[in-house]
Amino acid sequence: MNFLLDEDHLALKQSAAVFLDKEIVLDALLKPGASVDQANYRGNWEKIAAMGWTGITVPESYGGLGLSCVDVAMVLGEMGRTLAPSPFLGNLIGTWALLRLGTEEQKQRILPAVAAGTARLALAVGDAAGDVADHSRELGAERSAQGFLLKGARAFAIDAAGADWLIVDAHNAETGRRGFFLVDTKSDDLTVDIMNWRDLTRQVCDVRLNGCVGEELAPLTPADWAWVRDRILFALAAECAAGTQQILSMTAEYAKERVAFGKPIGSYQAIKHSLADMLGQAECANVAVLYAAWALSEEAPQASLAAAMAKAFAADAYVDCTHRSIQIFGAIGFTWEMKNHLYLKRAHANAELFGNSRAHRSRVIDLAQQAAA
Amino acid sequence: MDFRLPAENDPRRAVVRKWLSEHPKPSGRQLAEAGYTVPHWPKPWGVAAEPELQFIIDEEMGRAGVMPPNLINPVAVNNCAQTLLSHGTDAQHERFLMPALACEEIWCMLFSEPAGGSDLAALRTTARRDGDHYVVKGQKTWTSLAHKAQIGVLIARTDTAAPKHAGLSAFLMDMKSPGVTVRPIIDLSGCKNEYNEVFLDDVRVPADRLLGKEGEGWRIATSQLQTERVALSKPGAIWGAGPSARDLVNGLAVSGHLSDPVVRDEAAKIFIEGELLRLLAYRALSDRMNAKPSGPEGAIRKMLAAPHGQHIVEMAKKVQGPRGMIAGEQPFPSQVGSGKGMFADWDYAFWFSPAVTLGVGTQEILKNIVAERTLGLPRENDPTAKLPWTEINRAKSA
Repeated sequence: MNFLLDEDHLALKQSAAVFLDKEIVLDALLKPGASVDQANYRGNWEKIAAMGWTGITVPESYGGLGLSCVDVAMVLGEMGRTLAPSPFLGNLIGTWALLRLGTEEQKQRILPAVAAGTARLALAVGDAAGDVADHSRELGAERSAQGFLLKGARAFAIDAAGADWLIVDAHNAETGRRGFFLVDTKSDDLTVDIMNWRDLTRQVCDVRLNGCVGEELAPLTPADWAWVRDRILFALAAECAAGTQQILSMTAEYAKERVAFGKPIGSYQAIKHSLADMLGQAECANVAVLYAAWALSEEAPQASLAAAMAKAFAADAYVDCTHRSIQIFGAIGFTWEMKNHLYLKRAHANAELFGNSRAHRSRVIDLAQQAAA
Repeated sequence: MDFRLPAENDPRRAVVRKWLSEHPKPSGRQLAEAGYTVPHWPKPWGVAAEPELQFIIDEEMGRAGVMPPNLINPVAVNNCAQTLLSHGTDAQHERFLMPALACEEIWCMLFSEPAGGSDLAALRTTARRDGDHYVVKGQKTWTSLAHKAQIGVLIARTDTAAPKHAGLSAFLMDMKSPGVTVRPIIDLSGCKNEYNEVFLDDVRVPADRLLGKEGEGWRIATSQLQTERVALSKPGAIWGAGPSARDLVNGLAVSGHLSDPVVRDEAAKIFIEGELLRLLAYRALSDRMNAKPSGPEGAIRKMLAAPHGQHIVEMAKKVQGPRGMIAGEQPFPSQVGSGKGMFADWDYAFWFSPAVTLGVGTQEILKNIVAERTLGLPRENDPTAKLPWTEINRAKSA
């Protein structure tokens, strides 16, 4: 047993930190009226592609880096810390989905291009309420001469805009069950619109499928979707934990500099105690994410439990700490020109995507009971 | 990075299991002589166990139903014996260590005083040198186990002209000495006598009972508060003992309360906290295995663990409804909960729980420590820190 990060992990984290600190500039988003269009999504993605992170989880046999979830946690954490607007997360999620749900032929066709940065994947599984569970009939798949025809809609699809391939889930009329399909976004029968999403650092999209053709992915077992879902929860949690740590650092520094009544505000216990509470949450969120990363890397039996705990805890910590941060900064923290709101909005967005904390806590109880049995 | 705990077939377990099968109901002396009371200590007291072996020993003892010595004689085993080992003379080791580790002599810590809770260094008890003795005069309070203890680790002021931290010294005082009066403090639980007041009226302590040198009392006292062993086992509700969040969820499952969505959500929050605290404790263990210097993590863990423990017992109490107000009434069938010692009683643990955010540093003091040492926020200014102690008191009375 060794609960500490290896030298290799720390080196990867450090190089990601140096790169992102240099390349990610959020200033354009801090001008009133800014939208995700000013987030330099494409420019950042080109730089990230040059780092080889487009294929971070693509196995080496398909030309990727083949890194484990613990490695991915290092990069994702730095992405979350800097908010790095880019389709990194959407592509990562799409890659996990194809890795687990795709046929060997599909993987060989697509993953090398993803690793090379010449093609991009995204996953679209949310219904109009953002629910990702297997009961939505809002998208149907019917077999035809050309293959499955997909009709309906998906929403809250991270980084679907600009993706070359979408993976969607749909109600398969033939089997009466949920199926996953691969869609080429060049199809005329598909539209993708970026939603008017409060988190300006992320493109979250509406997808309409008007009878476009989908390739069926490999037959699905419940464990397959769980594998993908657990990794998505971990990824969102990793962003949350790192964001929590970042907002804590920013707020502590501000509390040392800002003077009121002749003293830095950080010398008042009301401020100190709130920051100490934030630190406790940041520590717990961090260890939760590392534990989930390890459990997923090892495909350990407690992986689903660890991922659910990490998402539920880290998202709540992030929401609470970004709120406290604005309170400690005072009124200036409430303005558009400060970064605080970018973190606050990312926190709320991550907390709501792929199931809220309460839903995951309910799962935690079931999973813990199963583990104890 | 590897979160795996030592495996069931780890060969190190076999050694411990063999010893336990040969000593099915080990006495305190047997445990101490085997080195299992303080396994992390060097031989002959311990077995120089690395943290992983310590983990194994704790776990195997727990499974065998052995009452851990650190619950029987906590002050000695967790805190003070380590200080005695570091600061004591050979003669003091010879006289005190084995009876303490064997739980044959119970120890208590004579630190806190009525006039100073959090400001420990302001204590007023004096020890005046008189030939080959010190004469101790003053009053201590909130002393755990004083009513059972043979030995008290006393911090008293030997130099009243020095600043408050510098004038303190540590002693190993015989609690049966003439002039020592122990009076129980009846805490709000009303159940058991956990704390005491100790009156010291011209108690004569032999000079060879001085621990370390004169003036080292503050350093010794603070090091004792920091040497507390990493809680390796379950993060129990009260000082790491008693029911854990896993016990709570198991209990709520048995009692059927988990079908209430509000209870379920609260219980899950507490469960997650418990699992994360467990991981933080393991991480502290890994830090020690990798010889990383211990920082303020202990204060962070205490800051998180104390309210966590309160949440565990509060939740259990809440689901009882009015029955929970009946003295001694337990929330769950008796098979729920694997804790040992007096805090295994859920009802008592609940009524005791307000103490855990007061003892060993109040929650507010811990948050100050965490904010100052970890985040580098400005230190609280103590205007009395540099003054000669006698002048502090003059300033107060003026």
